[in-house]
Amino acid sequence: MADPTTPTRRAPSKLRQAVRLLRGLLAGHRRLFLTAVGGASVYAICTVLSAFVVRLVTDRVITPRFTTGHVAVGTVLGVLGLVIGVALVRAAGVVVRRVWAGRTAWRVNEGLTRSVVQRYVDQPVPWHRRQTAGDLISRAGLDAEAATTVLNPLPFASSVIVMLVISSAWMLVTDAVLGLFAVALFPILIGLNLVYQRRADRYYDAAQDELGRLSAAVHESFDGVTVVKSLGAEQRETERLGLIAGRLRDARMGAVRVRSTFEALLDGIPNAANTALLVVGAYRVRAGAATVGELASFFYLFTLLVFPLRLIGFVLSDLPHSLAGWNRVREVLDAPVQPDPARTLGRSPDGAVRLHGVHYRHEGARDVLDGVDAEIPAGRTVAVVGATGAGKTTLLHLVAGLIEPSSGRIEVPAGDTLLVFQEPFLTVGTVRENVTLGRPIADRDVDEAVVTACAEFCYDLPNGLATMVGERGVGLSGGQRQRIALARALVRRPAVLLLDDTTSALDPATEAAVLANLRRQLGSMTVLAVASRPSTIALADDVLYLVDGVVAAHGRHEALLAGVPGYRTLIEAFEHDRAALDAAAGEDAGEAAEATVGAGAEVRP
Amino acid sequence: MSEPLGRWSAVDTIGRSVREAPALRRGFGLTVLLAMAGAGARIVLPILLQQAIDRGLRHGRVRVDVVVHLALIGVAVVAVATLAQRTAVARLGIRSEQALFGLRVRLFEHIHRLSIADHNDERTGALVARVTGDVETLSQFFAWGGLALLLDGTLMVVVAAVMLAYDWLLAVVAFLVAAPLAILLRRVQAHLLTANDAARARNAEMLSQISELVGGSETLRAYGASRHYADATAATARRRADSFIRVGTIGAFLFPLGEVFSALTVSAVITLGVWLGPDRGLTAGAMVGFVFLTYRFLEPIAEFTEVIDQTQTAVAGMRRVLGVLGTPIGPPESADPQRLPSGPLDVYLANVDFAYPRRHDAEAERGASDDEPVLHQVTAHIPAGQQVALVGETGSGKTTLGRLVARLADPTRGQVLLGGVPLTEVANHDLRRRLVVVPQEPFLFDGTIADNLAFADPSATPQRLAEAVEALDLGDWLAGLPAGLDTEVGPRGSQLSAGERQLVALVRASIVDPAVLVLDEATSSVDALTEVRLGRALERLSRGRTSIAIAHRLSTAARADRVLVLDHGRLVEDGAHRDLVDAGGAYARMYDAWVSATDAARTTS
Repeated sequence: MADPTTPTRRAPSKLRQAVRLLRGLLAGHRRLFLTAVGGASVYAICTVLSAFVVRLVTDRVITPRFTTGHVAVGTVLGVLGLVIGVALVRAAGVVVRRVWAGRTAWRVNEGLTRSVVQRYVDQPVPWHRRQTAGDLISRAGLDAEAATTVLNPLPFASSVIVMLVISSAWMLVTDAVLGLFAVALFPILIGLNLVYQRRADRYYDAAQDELGRLSAAVHESFDGVTVVKSLGAEQRETERLGLIAGRLRDARMGAVRVRSTFEALLDGIPNAANTALLVVGAYRVRAGAATVGELASFFYLFTLLVFPLRLIGFVLSDLPHSLAGWNRVREVLDAPVQPDPARTLGRSPDGAVRLHGVHYRHEGARDVLDGVDAEIPAGRTVAVVGATGAGKTTLLHLVAGLIEPSSGRIEVPAGDTLLVFQEPFLTVGTVRENVTLGRPIADRDVDEAVVTACAEFCYDLPNGLATMVGERGVGLSGGQRQRIALARALVRRPAVLLLDDTTSALDPATEAAVLANLRRQLGSMTVLAVASRPSTIALADDVLYLVDGVVAAHGRHEALLAGVPGYRTLIEAFEHDRAALDAAAGEDAGEAAEATVGAGAEVRP
Repeated sequence: MSEPLGRWSAVDTIGRSVREAPALRRGFGLTVLLAMAGAGARIVLPILLQQAIDRGLRHGRVRVDVVVHLALIGVAVVAVATLAQRTAVARLGIRSEQALFGLRVRLFEHIHRLSIADHNDERTGALVARVTGDVETLSQFFAWGGLALLLDGTLMVVVAAVMLAYDWLLAVVAFLVAAPLAILLRRVQAHLLTANDAARARNAEMLSQISELVGGSETLRAYGASRHYADATAATARRRADSFIRVGTIGAFLFPLGEVFSALTVSAVITLGVWLGPDRGLTAGAMVGFVFLTYRFLEPIAEFTEVIDQTQTAVAGMRRVLGVLGTPIGPPESADPQRLPSGPLDVYLANVDFAYPRRHDAEAERGASDDEPVLHQVTAHIPAGQQVALVGETGSGKTTLGRLVARLADPTRGQVLLGGVPLTEVANHDLRRRLVVVPQEPFLFDGTIADNLAFADPSATPQRLAEAVEALDLGDWLAGLPAGLDTEVGPRGSQLSAGERQLVALVRASIVDPAVLVLDEATSSVDALTEVRLGRALERLSRGRTSIAIAHRLSTAARADRVLVLDHGRLVEDGAHRDLVDAGGAYARMYDAWVSATDAARTTS
């Protein structure tokens, strides 16, 4: 489908790209696609046949009837049978073409989405942290869809080639002079279509860009409406958005101008050509070389071919978008799967959690953890305490095997090591599904975990554990979400439980109850809990005090308060505002804790 | 199919749209006339063919001169008609883009003037969708469906008229045979609509599943649930493909149905024409011409049914747009505003009640108990220059009270007076120069720090901006930024930390140099150094101004001249920190909670 009018040097490489795209897309779906092309070919052949039928109608039925006054009933019936028969077969061809073109495009699309999603799942946490969620979603959804859009017009477009070849041959055979005249017009119309598509696409692309810009600006402006209103800037904002909307309008009007001209030309040129054909035809008829019916059938065929010729333009216009989508999908699929950080975790023989000289750094940044050594015997509950940026969360993520240390060694006991994240993630689904996350777990065990996590409020929800939560479900407070996330971990009976400030959004009484439950029911479990509330810290067996990525102290809370001045300062600063916050803002004040801890971090030992 | 009509019927909607966007109607009659003239290019061929066959190509007596003469007329008609069609298409496209531009600007303006109550988080997305998505639907409608209505509609009218002129009986028969097609197509269309809705729902389901999988990737990996969710996502991808294939399958029958009916109608025309024949004064040319006209007449019908679908979508979009324009704007400007006195201003809250209003448009069903009263009978006088802290639990009404003072909404009962003038009688621009709100999560626009500061006063020079930064003792902070005032803040200020965004907001407020400040204290985490800077800047900014701080930390309240304690919308206590602590009321209980929490932590040590 190379551009026939302008065989430039760039064409082959574009063609090669297009071929590669189609090969890649159609791998494994050839049968569907060939069926669509088959239907399209039937349609193409019948289109030419229907022109032949018009000739029969004119020459065998109408002309005899109106010149000699007679026509055999059998002839009329035969010709009418052809009219209807050809139309039926042609319609069937269209149905097959459209249905199978759709099936091809959507099955290919489904396959791409599945592979991309599978790749996301295969990639470990460090890979995900380098991507943005929006980008990943758009690659699996919109880009996969864009990649396959070209498959929709493709069978039709390929049948246009068939149609052109057959109709040219037929016209040339029927009457060489008339045929040559008609066939000479095809390249002109195709060329016109291509120029049109290219010019119009420039405006459509510009309009698409402006629409994106407008949408972003409108979002920003409405999001910031409080600022806009409180500074009295409504009029200025309206003008600013108006400028962008004006550019969108101008791009659209440019497209309208191109479109109106070319659409009119694409309609007008075949019509003008037909009138010229009439003159040529008159000479041929006078010379006895052609019949009136042949002339009429040429006219008819010409009008039928105008639209299909445009399909070639459509495919060429879809191609760049499909290529762009395909390339973005390929980027995901071609990126090698990174090794799982969990493979670096050693197995500790005695059930203790051990860290030996553990370093962790982000690319280019300073060390978040700068040589951590610690040993936490099985069954201990340890509070991890430190200022913002001390490396508490990183430490937990390392032990959980979500990320791997830059150097050093970590040992964990056999069994699950489960982390309850700082920001609890609830999927769209029932409470129960959120606890099991798809694992077959007995109701009794789910109930036990819910009770241990002090999440009994779930039973009071409209449908109990079957209540939908998450994005479109009932609204839950931060504390409620945390307790569901905790039950999710507990139900799996982990050997090591890692809590990343998991109880921060609970009121102190509930928090104490949760911690008491943990101690009572799961005596053999090792717990590492990032904590920033004195009451939580006080409940732990030991405290691991981190300062700037190293263990500054490891021991009992009281001992640290007495012997480590930095620790005492931190705890005091933190008691001071934290308590006030709890009192003033109730359950929703989780985030503020970090602020006050941060304030304390100024004073270090 | 039975789509609820909402508050306006389709006819009303279109009528109101024309009133909101008068550019749509201007010159519409001429556009239709031009389109009719444009249809001439498409009917010239059948007429020419008839004339040529009857006058120039009669059996045995071909008159080339007559045909040439006819062809010349034909070319001239095609040229004129092509020009007319071009003009009609351009006029419709340009007019509609201009009208939609006007509509967008009206929407920007109106939405910016809506009360802050209409701008809560969940509504922002809907409002953005009105300006982008819904207006876009209209633009697409005018570019494709509306254009098709215009061109195909006029074509059918013109072709029908010519058919009737040739032979009314044949024409009526043709219309009657074709009539069931319209009914059949509506049927197919109805199925198509349902299938389309289902497909859209499946699409949304898949995208939300992908976004869960991506957003929750760490949790899913930590709990070994990735495979389960990848399978679930693959299943949604399959369901989506199935539903779109169904749409394609139904849609595949639309055009073929038209083709089959064309064949049937043409057969009927030929049968009748040949049977009645010359006795009715028909000629061979007229018969051939009539067959061509019949094909032409039925060509656009299948497209029409798609247009009806598009029209419904466009009307629905327009109805939503009108719904927004019909929402009364926020606090209205007084017709005869009073000037605020110069110098410091006091604030007087006189018996203030407030309830968030019920919503006005289609989203109304979602909000359940919106008109819960938020404030009851709040009365307080804040003398000029006093620093006041509003304290209370989440939902106590302290944020709302701040908004009323800033006149982001008006009280449902009672009055707010500023410098003795009721807020309802203060001109907006006057108010915005004298009172500034610093919101909890200050919103920054994508641009430089200077852009964001200048938002308060577009005429401010860079020097003035730098002085403002210096005046709040933030020179060292600014110097530490990569490009000083020209540092890009990123979308929503994402390149700055939460604390730095607050710093920018404070400077921005200081540039206005207001007499009254309303500060919504932040709860988000701030690093230690920024915390110190914020405190200093805030102290400098409030010096000499009346300030009302919505306090989330008791330490802030303790520093204020006076504390107002709100509980469930009522002002329950009012006094200095010390006095309120001694009085033993609600504030004292909060304070006790703090003290006891502190003690609890202390006794463990």
